[in-house]
This record gives sequence, C-alpha cells and structure tokens, in this order.
Amino acid sequence: MKKLFLLLIGVGNLYADLVLEITQGSEQPVRLALIEIGAPTYEGNEVIEIVRNDLLRTGEFDVLTNDQLLSIPASEEDVIQRDWLLLEADAIIFMNIQQEQGALDVEYSFFDIGYKESVEKRKVLGLPDSVRQTSHYVSDGIYEFFYGIEGVSSTKLMYVAKNSDIYRLIVSDADGFNEQVLLKSNSSIISPAWSADAKDIAYVSFENNRAQVFTQNLESGKRELVLSSNASVSSPAWSPDKKFLAFSTTKDGNSEIYLINLKNKELTRLTDNTAIDTEPAWSKDGKNLLFTSDRAGSPQIYQVNIRNKLKRRITTIGSYNARASYLNQDEIVFVHRGESDFNIAKMNLNTRSLDILTSTKFDESPCIAPNGNVVIYSTKDGNLSYLAGVNISSRVKFKLPALYGELKEPAWSPYLR
Amino acid sequence: MVSVFKITMKKIIYSLIALALLFSCSSTQVEKVSQQKTTTVDLTGNQAAPGAVLRDSVDLGEPYVRIYFDYDEDNLREDMLSNLLAISKLMKENSSYTLLVEGHADERGTREYNLALSERRAKSVEDFLTASGVSPFNIEVVGYGEEKPVDNASNESAWSKNRRTELFFIR
Repeated sequence: MKKLFLLLIGVGNLYADLVLEITQGSEQPVRLALIEIGAPTYEGNEVIEIVRNDLLRTGEFDVLTNDQLLSIPASEEDVIQRDWLLLEADAIIFMNIQQEQGALDVEYSFFDIGYKESVEKRKVLGLPDSVRQTSHYVSDGIYEFFYGIEGVSSTKLMYVAKNSDIYRLIVSDADGFNEQVLLKSNSSIISPAWSADAKDIAYVSFENNRAQVFTQNLESGKRELVLSSNASVSSPAWSPDKKFLAFSTTKDGNSEIYLINLKNKELTRLTDNTAIDTEPAWSKDGKNLLFTSDRAGSPQIYQVNIRNKLKRRITTIGSYNARASYLNQDEIVFVHRGESDFNIAKMNLNTRSLDILTSTKFDESPCIAPNGNVVIYSTKDGNLSYLAGVNISSRVKFKLPALYGELKEPAWSPYLR
Repeated sequence: MVSVFKITMKKIIYSLIALALLFSCSSTQVEKVSQQKTTTVDLTGNQAAPGAVLRDSVDLGEPYVRIYFDYDEDNLREDMLSNLLAISKLMKENSSYTLLVEGHADERGTREYNLALSERRAKSVEDFLTASGVSPFNIEVVGYGEEKPVDNASNESAWSKNRRTELFFIR
C-alpha cells in the first residue's frame, strides 16, 4: 500500500484548512510529468502545482517531480525518448501558459512517448484571479483523457463547519481551497443540498428552535422558508428539473415524506403510516425516490414511485440502513451498520449484492461526486468529525480533515463546466 | 468496372482518413472558465430571519427533568415512569402550566433519522402525559436529533446520556 501525504495550506482559508491525505493509492497509476514549455515561470509553477495535487488526490496518477526526471525538455522537439522509456512514463503533459489582460490561459498537450508526438491539444481560457479554477479545468481534462470519465477537480463541495459553537455553511473548491461562507449561524445547520443547476441550495436550519427547510440563492444570498409549520421540516432534496423539493415533516404527528411544487407551493404526500419516513433522494430520471423507513422495526431503504406512490423495500441485510442515494440506475450508496460499525456501502439493485466501501467506525452522510465515481462522507476521529472520500473504481481513499473545528454534512456540487 | 469502383472507394476512404487526421490535429479543444459569485448570510447578529419565530430563543436553563431512552427506541423505560407520573400530577394540579418536551438522540446513525427518532421520543412523553389526563394543549414537542448532545464523547456512557428528552415548564 502506498502512502502519500500532502499538506495544502491556503492563504485564503480562514475557517477550516483542509489537509489532504491519501490513505490508499491505486496499484497501477498513470505515470506522467507536467512540463511548462520554455523557461519556467512563477505562474506556470503555480498551475503545475495545483494540477499535480489534483491528480495525486485521485490516487490514480503518479506525477514525476523534476528531480526524478533524467532530462527536462524545453519543448516537444527536445524530448529524449530513451530517458522517458527508462522512467516508464506514460505521457508528458506540455503546458503553454499565456497571460492575456490579467487572465491566465493554459494550452496543454498530451505527448505520447512511444510515438514521440503530441496526440491531442486542449486549451483553457481563464478569467482574472481564476488560476486555481483554470488549473482544475486542466486537471479534469487530463483525467478525462486517461480514464474516459469526467474529472471532478473543478466542482465544488458544500459542508458544515462547526467551530466554538458557530456553524458555517461553506462552499469550497473540491480540494478545499477558496472557501466561501454561505450562512453563519449560532444554531445547527444540517442536510445541505444543491439544485441541479448549482445556482440554489436548500438546507435545514434550527435558527428558530425547530428544524426548518430554507432555500438560498448562492449569488444573491436571498433565502426562503419552504414550508411554514409548527412541526419539524427537514431532509430537502431538489428534483432533477428543479421544480419540486422532496422533504420530510412531522406535521402529521410522525415523520412523512412530501413533495412541494416550488412554484405554487402545492403539497403531495408520498408516505402514510406510523413509522419514521425520511431522507428522500431522487433518481436521475426524477421518477422514483429512495427513502429511509423503520416501518419494519429497524431503519431500512425503500423506494417509492412518485406517480403511483407504490413502495418497494430495497435493503434486507443489516440492522441499520439509511440515507441512500442513487449512484446510477442500478446501484445505490447508503449508511450501513453491520455488526457494530456504521460504514458506507454500495448495493446493486438487481443482484442485491452488498459492497462495504469504508472501514472507519462512524461513517455517515455519504454523497456522490457528479462523475458517479467518488463518494465523500463524514467520519470521526476521537470527538472531531472530518470529511473523507473513496474512489469507487480504484478504491483510493483520501481524507479532508480540518486543521481545527469540525467538518460534516458534505454535499458535492453538480458539474459546473 | 469492378476495379474502377474499388479504386474510387479506396480514394474516398483515404481522403476521409486524411480529413479526419487533419481535423484531429489542427483542432484544439477550447473551454472557458466560469466562476460563481456567492453572498454570505450572517445570522449571528440580531436581524430577523424570514421563518416565523416560534419561541424566543432565550436560554431555558436546566430542564425540570430528563427522561432517558434505549438505543433506537422511543418506548418509555420503566425506571422513567415515576418521574413522568410526578409531572402529570403537577400539571393536573396547575392547569395553566405548559410543558416543552425536547427530544434528543445519540450521535450514532444518520442525522435526519435521529431527528425523526428524537421527535418520536418527545411524542412518547406527550402521549404518556395525555393518556394520564394532561391536556394536549399544554404540551409542546420538538425534536433536536443529535444536534445538542450533553456529552460529546463517543462511548456508551455519553450515548446513554444523550438519548433523552428534556422537560421544561415554559409558562
């Protein structure tokens, strides 16, 4: 098992600096070097450092450092093929950094060492002060080139940070940098959720001494109370078309699942029994919801068709299965308790085969990256919770612990590109 | 005739390949970075929130009594009944008293399930009291899930203290 440790301390990170630690790497990573064309520049080094860390964080790349190289070519013509064959490198990524009116553009090409030529060229046009985001676009392009699935370095994470009894709902880049506080409160904030276009969020706030669901526009900060009630309203989930919010409420005496039409505020009740029904999660086509119910005595995952309200029990193994979401059409991810630990598990809906993805004791709040290949969740070390992730195809694990305070309730944004 | 056709086909295929190569070599995939602006909402000051304020957020102090529960259970434990009978007697003697029952859960399991579980614990207390003759209009219930633990540790001793309802007389 390979161990890597990277310390990333951002200048602008005031609340919860994230430390990135890869706890388990892929057995067969892609080996490459990132080289700036021409003489190295300050900006070029910065871009290369960000891309390098993005690629390392996936655990699926081995990025050669300058002191590992036998020769450093200034351009594609200078590549000494033998040096690279000795290093068993798969490719060289040549980068051409151009500065245009305060913005940084990065042109990058994939140099095939066997063929001794660039096989593809791509370019990212930056904005002023967008070096990090521009670099993340490059990382995602490189990831996509080698693995055929979109990378998620340019997406965002939302999470709750708790520090000396102040709760902050934060959105950051996927690597933890560039933190922006969306909501600061003296009361608990839970269950943040993104709308499909990533322009609005929903969450549960206890600011009025009861669980209430609010929506908030990211750009304007405008908030709306979704449903006024004397009972708890919680667990919001946006429909893929953004027209509905699924949620749970105890307004009928115990927790039931409802849909609200966000335009006309019309309510549709989906569950009706004396058990707890909560944690709704939409299917990609918007036709079904997964939810947690203890109608059979212990919490288990069920699925409801929102048109005919027919329900189907999904999980049967284990005394505790909750907070499910669809990984794709055939698989779901959820919190599973086997013997005693709470772990994140994956299950195939057709074969019902269960696959435990994590191995710490108190793993919860699983959330799937938009490429469907990385699950981020919260877990605990001592009394402090932090965020951790696992790559489903490579089984690479990583940690995003806060240097101080606690991080919980992660929510991965949709693609922003 | 046949050979001419073959040659033409070959020519077409070759020129198609050449065209494809030309495009794949010359075209650079270009994308533009987008960035989203965000606004911070700060509730730690005194400004009013859009949600109706249900109860003044004054510190209620220590609860009148705490009722403890077993893991993933909302059934009342036998050892807790004498406390509840005392509350029932007090409320029946003073019909103006209003009781707030706050439900809580330990940290294990998911936050949303624990929120529902904690509220059901509070409901159990309410149901017991109303069954014993207390007016339901004098009882308010609220669930806080695992958000307000009395003990932050991750062990059975802390969990057993956190699985509770807290009863306050608010009027």
